[in-house]
Amino acid sequence: MKKINLKVNGVDYSVEIEEDVRLLDVLRNQLRLTGTKEGCGEGECGACTIIMDGVTVNSCMVMAFQAEGKEIITIEGMATKSGLHPIQRAFLEEGAVQCGFCIPGMVLSAKALLDKNLTPNREEIREAISGNLCRCTGYNKIVDAIDKASKYMGKEGDVNGI
Amino acid sequence: MEYKIVGHNILRVDGLAKVTGKATYPEDLYMEGMLYGKTLRSIKTHAYITVDTKEAEKIDGVIKIFTHKDIPHNYYGVLFKDHEVFCSKKVRRIGDPIAFVVAITEKIAEKAIKAITVEYDEIESVFDPVDAMKEDAPLIHDRSNILYHYKLRRGNIEEAFQQCSVIVENQYKTSMVDHAFLQPEAGLAYMEGDTVVVCAATQYPHFDQLEISEALNIPQEKVKIINPAVGGAFGGREDITLQIHLALATWVIGKPVKTVYSREESFVAHSKRHPMIMNYKTGADANGKLLAMEANIIGDTGAYASWAINIMRKAGVHATGPYEIPNVKVDSYAVYTNNPFAGAMRGFGAAQVPIAHEQQMDMLAEKLKIDPITFRLNNCFKLGSTTATGQVLEESVPLIQCIEAVRHKLNSKANDTEGV
Ligand code: FES
Ligand code: FES
Repeated sequence: MKKINLKVNGVDYSVEIEEDVRLLDVLRNQLRLTGTKEGCGEGECGACTIIMDGVTVNSCMVMAFQAEGKEIITIEGMATKSGLHPIQRAFLEEGAVQCGFCIPGMVLSAKALLDKNLTPNREEIREAISGNLCRCTGYNKIVDAIDKASKYMGKEGDVNGI
Repeated sequence: MEYKIVGHNILRVDGLAKVTGKATYPEDLYMEGMLYGKTLRSIKTHAYITVDTKEAEKIDGVIKIFTHKDIPHNYYGVLFKDHEVFCSKKVRRIGDPIAFVVAITEKIAEKAIKAITVEYDEIESVFDPVDAMKEDAPLIHDRSNILYHYKLRRGNIEEAFQQCSVIVENQYKTSMVDHAFLQPEAGLAYMEGDTVVVCAATQYPHFDQLEISEALNIPQEKVKIINPAVGGAFGGREDITLQIHLALATWVIGKPVKTVYSREESFVAHSKRHPMIMNYKTGADANGKLLAMEANIIGDTGAYASWAINIMRKAGVHATGPYEIPNVKVDSYAVYTNNPFAGAMRGFGAAQVPIAHEQQMDMLAEKLKIDPITFRLNNCFKLGSTTATGQVLEESVPLIQCIEAVRHKLNSKANDTEGV
């Protein structure tokens, strides 16, 4: 057993971990933040995407102890007090959601992109979600949604989301 | 009349839960004191087996190991009951379930799986469905490997082929495909009084209830299925995977039991799209009118039937494609092999045959020196057409408009490019 300290969605946690668990397991099984999904466990599908210190990572490929002292955002940290994050709103409105299993990862990849570039073109959007597989939508509506979100965020100046 | 939904942009009912990460898939369920289940699966394609669980049972934290001895009625399946819940005498494919370990942690369950010994006494396997159809092929089940033959006959193809000025004859093969839905199979079962509750992402909850009650030999009212959010399915969740295992374990032990498949286990556990071998002969007259078609289609259903009969019938019914052909002979077959089993997948047998019939159309058009779009327009279904199965199409058949629209787009695209 080992103790790690990390900040998730603005909240400080101190967790006892087995040394061989992944960050994904800590988030899901210990913090019960089950919005982060496991689709492959091998870094291929992006369903487990989270933002760690500003960059997206596959939480199935990060050992829990590597998250010591890090600041993490999961899908549960996306909605603001006043409601949905503009990215979430755009996904809903554009019909970008089907089974939903890829969506938490997609939304976080979109956030990481838009936090750095508020006016991405469609190529850049596709590039930003290239590590996230979706088996349902065919991606076009997801790209539409991220495009729409960039416009919302440009207008509202709501970049942080938390 | 004002419609509330049709013609309006509406938000999907479960969309909000899904964009916020609150939607609950079966692996997101946790219960106090729940146990973990893991499946031991065959690593051979065709073999008699002897299973010894003694050593594994001694491991600290193992609650129980289930095998065929523990299941009252050891069979299930959507059409034929040709799957065993746990293989009793032999395995027929890689991935056949042999035992289900229930332990206090997932790690211990994994350790116990490794401690079970399975002796495989291998039998000859058959992987090519054409070989599997032969008289002397090894039998996968206790009956012929040919589990279904669909025949379609219309007119007289021998005479019609003699009148054809062009004939094209080819073989086409399609491959096995996995649905690869993004959420691997997972489930949680628990007791609610004397009722066993199974939460699992499924396409067929009412049928799961029936299959569990039959396998466990308990009344249907004592089985409840909860279908939480389903992370994609595409046909791949029509057959049972973990539902009976979880129900049995919870029914016997009395405690909640959870199972989550890895991606790898998901691949070996569920069905595939039927690979097909399609032999096609199609002929037309000098004016470009289709006169005759003969097709022989063999579908490899692997070790189990699943929906093979419906799928190979559908492939046969759709073999002509959307074209009027007065003389047709189709034979389609579903055949057992030792490959992964095939079942429902988007299109359900109608997705494979276009590879063949459309290529035939292109090649005939080329031989006739007719533009391939015009050739299709000359032969495609319209209002009043009769299909090869004798159905008269009396309702909307907008295929000509569709092809014209495509031609229009193609032409305007071509002009655009020229303009640049
Ligand atoms: S679960 Fe981490 S990338 Fe697929
Ligand atoms: S919505 Fe199903 S995987 Fe993307």
